[in-house]
Amino acid sequence: MMHAVTVIATRGLTVQFGAERALDELDVTIPSGVTGLVGANGAGKTTLMSIVLGLRPPTSGSIEVLGMDPRSQGHLIRAFVGYAPERNLLPGDMRAVDFVRHLSEVRGLPRDEARNRASDSLWLVGLGEERFRAIGSLSTGQRQRVKLAQAIAADPRLVLLDEPTDGLDPVQRDEMLALIRQINDEFGIDVVLSSHVLEEVERVCDSIVALDAGRLVASGPLQDLIAGDEGIEVELVDIADRPGSIDQVVAALSARGLSIARDGSVITVVGPDADAVADATRDAVADAGARLGRMSSRRRTLEDLFMEGS
Amino acid sequence: MSDEAMIVDRGYRTYDGPRSGVVGAVRSVAWHSMRSVLGIGRPARHKILPVMAVLIAYLPALVFVGIAVLLPVDLVGKGVIPSYADYTGFIGLVIVLFCGLVAPEVLVGDRRNGMFGLYLSTPLRRDTYLVAKILAVMATLMMVTLGPPLLLLIAYTFEGSGPGGVGNWLVLLVRIVASGVVISAVFAVVSLAAASLTDRRAFASVGVILVLLGSNVVMGALIVKAGVSSTLGVLDLLGMPFELVQRIYGQPGGFPKMSVLLVAGANAAWATLGGVVIWYRYRRLAINP
Repeated sequence: MMHAVTVIATRGLTVQFGAERALDELDVTIPSGVTGLVGANGAGKTTLMSIVLGLRPPTSGSIEVLGMDPRSQGHLIRAFVGYAPERNLLPGDMRAVDFVRHLSEVRGLPRDEARNRASDSLWLVGLGEERFRAIGSLSTGQRQRVKLAQAIAADPRLVLLDEPTDGLDPVQRDEMLALIRQINDEFGIDVVLSSHVLEEVERVCDSIVALDAGRLVASGPLQDLIAGDEGIEVELVDIADRPGSIDQVVAALSARGLSIARDGSVITVVGPDADAVADATRDAVADAGARLGRMSSRRRTLEDLFMEGS
Repeated sequence: MSDEAMIVDRGYRTYDGPRSGVVGAVRSVAWHSMRSVLGIGRPARHKILPVMAVLIAYLPALVFVGIAVLLPVDLVGKGVIPSYADYTGFIGLVIVLFCGLVAPEVLVGDRRNGMFGLYLSTPLRRDTYLVAKILAVMATLMMVTLGPPLLLLIAYTFEGSGPGGVGNWLVLLVRIVASGVVISAVFAVVSLAAASLTDRRAFASVGVILVLLGSNVVMGALIVKAGVSSTLGVLDLLGMPFELVQRIYGQPGGFPKMSVLLVAGANAAWATLGGVVIWYRYRRLAINP
């Protein structure tokens, strides 16, 4: 099977649970690469993953996963999709290698192949030495790796990772994110990473789908979404003999077509070019006779995107 | 080092070979469940109960074979040594206890340790998952319902007290296999239905045993002590499968007034009802995702 350029595509995808709308007319195209599925709890991330796996039919709309329809070809899709759940519940008395091997067999691999690939996957995630240990004796970080290993062991085209860094310390989190990047870069496995930690999504993902209460907040390549504008954050001090100087600065910058957000004496100025924004701000502050307390460059983040979209 | 020798960097690699699909998934889950319930690949404490149950189920067969070897008289079916038809009833309590051990282990564990949700992210669906679990319990129960009578047949045959003639031998073999499969199927579905109603393994074990033994005791008391119609024996969840075994061997059994069709129908009805209970429970079971 060839790698699809579009991994998941939805059109008007809607899921209704009684009076509650879990997904609302979702039009999304998820390309190859690592895609972050972001949103707060209840945003609809898990519901979308259920539909992707063919475990739940949408109320209306359409969806294609790897070129197949999950409603009629769910079992075929699931043979080519690895899934690592959020919950840290795993069979504690099973050895890691047996657990990964068994799920590979269930996903369709012959027994010998499943055994070999279970070991290979556990080595890949850094559990080569621990693969014969019972899962119950592994640390939280190691269990997260076991979940990743079982998701990739059957050579999927796509893996869905639900909060894969949950419960990890910063070092373990960095290692997990590096692994996720590696399985896409080196092995060509597309990844959909569900997370509510925006910072880690920014670090590892090529594109994002941001949901809020079932609605699409934003989707597309990450660089297009957060790096389009550059800006600076300026803290001004309103001085007694220049009343209204901050208002003057804001008015001057607005007149130049820059995007201004004000929070008391702190203003955030965003424009297409960081140097031009800095020069304009400096000039406006000097003209108004305001006092500059602090000026720092500021990159647009996923959090800004969410704030704007919500 | 030979010329052909080389160091291969296996690492993680792609797999383009065939995949076994839903049938392979069912087979794999059934096999894994069987291994798990017998304690294979698990710590020693998980092996104790299943090994004991299997040994107890086979012990009478071994004793009977020993008696048959030592006493030069045909004692089979003469009231001294149970007949093939009577053997499963003879070890009925062991079968009930085995059901109480196997069904909860096969079903409840997956709900508690997250495997159920993971299985549904594979080619399995809820229905095919349940088929795998029923097959697993059936196959495990056949170790005690089918294995000992087969052992008796083989041992008696070698000892010289087996059925006369190839035709009779084959007929007996078919009856033994049919009895083992049928009784395992009915007990598997009924005990899984009882086990599906709770997430606590101990409660499930007690529930399975209570359902099987309780219906037997209550129906027995009503029929024997209160004098109600023996047709009510169809409500005896333990007695009906054993009754069907008797009929497969052409014996009148404990409910001679019931027709073969009624006995078979009662077993089919209980199995169907059990299946409906399991499906109803699992159709509504929430999973993540």
